[in-house]
Amino acid sequence: MTLSLFNQFASPVLLGIPLIALAILLPWTLLPSPANRWLTNRLLSLQGSFIGGFTKQLVLPLNPGGHKWALLFTSLMVYLITINLLGLLPYTFTPTTQLSLNMGLAIPLWLATVIIGMRNQPTHSLAHFLPEGTPTLLIPVLVIIETISLFIRPLALGVRLTANLTAGHLLIHLIAMATNVLFPLMPSVAILTGTLLLLLTLLEIAVAMIQAYVFVLLLSLYLQENV
Amino acid sequence: MPQLNPAPWFLILVFSWLVFLTILPPKILNHTFPNEPTPNSSKKPLTNPWNWPWL
Repeated sequence: MTLSLFNQFASPVLLGIPLIALAILLPWTLLPSPANRWLTNRLLSLQGSFIGGFTKQLVLPLNPGGHKWALLFTSLMVYLITINLLGLLPYTFTPTTQLSLNMGLAIPLWLATVIIGMRNQPTHSLAHFLPEGTPTLLIPVLVIIETISLFIRPLALGVRLTANLTAGHLLIHLIAMATNVLFPLMPSVAILTGTLLLLLTLLEIAVAMIQAYVFVLLLSLYLQENV
Repeated sequence: MPQLNPAPWFLILVFSWLVFLTILPPKILNHTFPNEPTPNSSKKPLTNPWNWPWL
């Protein structure tokens, strides 16, 4: 069978074990849980300050009803950022390149925010379909557009994360292949390409963190509208 | 595109949610913080200027 560049994203199976299961299960061994000690070590202090700071900043614009979601959002953030960053190591598989995982996270969480809004304050939630100050003639068009934009949200959420990570990994693969091929032929060009690869890897580290953050931030915004 | 292969979709969905709901929240909850959040007070704190003692 001919290999294409997309084959790196096929869910890998080794000796009958789907490796995606290990890729989802094992990263949490890298994040220790604090014990009942007064003083912990640096890693735990770093984790604690990240979790505390992130939760505070995310929950600040939410009404008190939305504060119940703090644990879910922080868990989601830690989940995504760890999985994304670990996928940048060589020979690892990134589960978040799988559309199934991202849509599986995005659709239920988005739907939860919509249902909460529709049940607790239906008038307020439906009011989002018509921005303030629209001219009367545009009202039907705008309601249709806002409905479409509401339903596209979960798709966008899932596909954004998938596409960003897939594209990043694909680029790394392509440029690494180019460097590898060019090295015996034109070493100076290969060195330039290698520098490009280094910069791209730094970009991908940033993208991994930013995309995890954007996912959770958008969910918190959708919650903000509805709670 | 292999991500569009629907075969492992359900298992990936179930497994990822399982790990997300069972392993992560206890790990996050174990990080406790010793102080309650304090509200912003309107009075500015009294501070005397100080310099590093060894300079």
